[in-house]
Amino acid sequence: MASAASAIAAVLFVALLAAWAAGGGSVSLPWAPTLGIRLELSLDGFAILYALLATGIGFLVFVYGSGYLPAHLGHQRRPASDARRFWPWMVVFMAAMVGLAMALDLVLLFVLFDITAVASYFLIGFDRQRAEARGAAFMALLVTAGSAVAMLLGAVLLYSEYGTFSLPVLFERAHPTPVTTAAAALIAVAALAKSAQVPLHFWLPRAMEAPTPVSAYLHSAAMVAAGVLVLGRIHPLLALDPAVLDALLLIGFASIAVGGLIALAQDELKQVLAHSTISQYGYVVVLYGIGGAHGAVAAALYVVAHAIAKSALFMTAGAVTEATGESRLSRLGGLARELPVVAVASGIAAASLAALPLTLGFFKDELFFEAAAEESPLVGALAVVAAGLTFAYLGRFWLGAFMGRRRTPASRISPLLVAPIVVLAVVSIIGGLFVEPFARLAAGAGAVTVGAPVDASPGYHLDLGLANVMAAAAWTLGIVILLATSVREPVARAVAAAGDRLGPRRVYGLGLLAFERLSEAAHRAEVRDLRTSLAAVLVPGAVLAALGFFATPTEGAYAVGPISAADLPIVALLALGVVAAFTAARDRGRLRPVLALSVLGASLAGVYAVMGAPDVALVAVVIETVVTLVFVTVFSQLPATVMGRAGPAAPSPHRIRNVAAGIVAGVTAFGVIWTALSRPPLGSSDAAQDIQLTPLAHGADVVTVILADFRGLDTMVEITVLAVAVLGVASLLRREREP
Amino acid sequence: MSPVIGVVAPRILAPAVMLAAGLIVKGYSDTGEGFSAGVIVALAIGLRYITLGRRRADRTLAVARHANVVAAAGLLIALGFGFQGVLSGAPPFTHLPPPGSPVIGIGTLELTTAVGFDVGLFLLVAGSLTVLIRYLTELLPDPADDPGDER
Repeated sequence: MASAASAIAAVLFVALLAAWAAGGGSVSLPWAPTLGIRLELSLDGFAILYALLATGIGFLVFVYGSGYLPAHLGHQRRPASDARRFWPWMVVFMAAMVGLAMALDLVLLFVLFDITAVASYFLIGFDRQRAEARGAAFMALLVTAGSAVAMLLGAVLLYSEYGTFSLPVLFERAHPTPVTTAAAALIAVAALAKSAQVPLHFWLPRAMEAPTPVSAYLHSAAMVAAGVLVLGRIHPLLALDPAVLDALLLIGFASIAVGGLIALAQDELKQVLAHSTISQYGYVVVLYGIGGAHGAVAAALYVVAHAIAKSALFMTAGAVTEATGESRLSRLGGLARELPVVAVASGIAAASLAALPLTLGFFKDELFFEAAAEESPLVGALAVVAAGLTFAYLGRFWLGAFMGRRRTPASRISPLLVAPIVVLAVVSIIGGLFVEPFARLAAGAGAVTVGAPVDASPGYHLDLGLANVMAAAAWTLGIVILLATSVREPVARAVAAAGDRLGPRRVYGLGLLAFERLSEAAHRAEVRDLRTSLAAVLVPGAVLAALGFFATPTEGAYAVGPISAADLPIVALLALGVVAAFTAARDRGRLRPVLALSVLGASLAGVYAVMGAPDVALVAVVIETVVTLVFVTVFSQLPATVMGRAGPAAPSPHRIRNVAAGIVAGVTAFGVIWTALSRPPLGSSDAAQDIQLTPLAHGADVVTVILADFRGLDTMVEITVLAVAVLGVASLLRREREP
Repeated sequence: MSPVIGVVAPRILAPAVMLAAGLIVKGYSDTGEGFSAGVIVALAIGLRYITLGRRRADRTLAVARHANVVAAAGLLIALGFGFQGVLSGAPPFTHLPPPGSPVIGIGTLELTTAVGFDVGLFLLVAGSLTVLIRYLTELLPDPADDPGDER
């Protein structure tokens, strides 16, 4: 299955390249025409960049996973067949990412966005026997899919303002209004949560419970990239209001600072990388906040360079842990001798992230510095500090694992775990030597983002240009932070501790707890005993019916008239029903009340039949028979005690409440039955219309025609609910049998 | 077990199926539809399971063991007839043949999409109730194991 997944990724990658070489293309099909939703996909410059990333890195991660997953399952003593729960989700995720890259319709964008969230839930929670993994998966789903609702809200706002979900049309029609700004901001919130930006960043570090291939894919190149993908896609809408862009700048820098500082304090390899991802996507958000041609191109190149390097580093973390059994920096060191290939390859990846020359990453920072300095000196200075921080935590990560004293011995690892890292390192180096293809890709994406052709020419300039000076300053700052251990560690730890104590993760936890209490309280109130369960159905139903009475003019409708001879059977049947109802309610036996209920049901069915509703009567008889059969069967299995002999039952402490509920339900039911039995005139109601239309539908029986035709959709939903309910009952009963 | 039930229970299924078929065929122009028909068949099956016990009933009624398949097929048939119009761009539950055009009939049975939908409904109801019957009767002691019951 792993090789099938890898093959799909490789084929998609090649197909995308071929399609792009042939000039791209686009599809636009009606999807839900009445709602104005179209299946609008386009393989433009922006789409190809993200689609190539999703499939290219996808392929390498899948290869890595084919080596990693069997070992992972082996460590946990799980059957190899559990891989069936892994690979399909990885492929679904990749397909959703490719679709997301190409989607031009806001609703389509939202749907694909949510598919990635659902797939990530199953992937993060893959080790489902561990509570931490389940909690992490739930948190990722709640934060990313929950905030995705904001995106839908934004889409609907834009639709109400401009009458379309199509992004190209929106770009033409949109103009700065408060509604447009609100909509753009809402969509940005969803995107920022997905890209793990402050203050909705806390799900990402916890998502490190996922198996390493998931982190290497989702948390470097795919899931978190989906957020900035949306930012880049809808950027013309964001750029309508400078305040939105300024907010992006602020959030971006906050994420760089929070992510970078906490990354310095982390001991777990993957935690360092997770916080680094928060920080690195902060860069991209800053670049989209700067906006303009430079910002857009720089952001696109940043995403590419980061994804390549970060997935290599995640795979390195997995490989190191696999070789040593250790995942903490404090227990690792000196692995360069035992894992030389991994050490060199991951060193190149780390260098690329830290923007050292001769790597692709150098150019991402070059463009970043240029765009930042152009925006304002303050942004430029912050950019240098941010890059210095990045340099420091990456240095700490790589030096800590591969240099220094050896603490834990390493064993041999499968070449499948090493080869993908090497390939990504080689790509980083190639990008460092021949940046032109990557620059062209980024320029194409940037052109789509700003809606005009842009040129970008990153390259080595051996001069004292501003970008070079800023880069040198950043490296110096990074080395200083790295060396100043005594200052760095307390500061980083304090930030991490403050985040734990006061951070949004705590708010999430408290919120979740409050919801759980509320749900628990409502649940307890409803199912405390049989009476509350019944009241939970009867009282709201009665209140709704009563509201209907108050809303309908009933003047003179409820007159007590004479009883004609034709009505006598009804009266007799109803009298029988009343007697049966009293027996059912008052008799203390076991079987007698059941039979009385059956008599009651049969007498009502008789009333329906006499009233001229044979369809209802038939269903009533059939259902009464089922209920009686079930009752009798179940009672035949109960232990043989006689309820009547147990003496009078203790009076219920909620007697008044029970009586009140009974009266409310009884009185409204009385009113409803009175209405039905007084045969109100049809007038021009829906029912009259249905009766008139019945012959046209080739039928003669109105009730059946309504069920199967006029209201067919309702019936469809009802029987689907029935099927789901049966499924639920069946699984409950099946569990019952298992010890 | 009373002799009446002992005689009736194994023999009631065939008449029940006939009744159900009648309800569906006539249903569109007269009382009854797929839901009642499904419940009636399920009642007959239920009677057999309760009297014979799960094991023996399973042996005599092989199709009941695949009730879940029947239910799923019914749901799919209903969905198919309900949403056939969507394929050609019409709203769901578009009636075919269209109002006013003649209907092909086999005796009383008229071939319209609504009747097809009703058949799906029947299969779904009968199938799901049988699934429940089989699970519930598994919780009951097997009448065949009860020595006092056999003569």
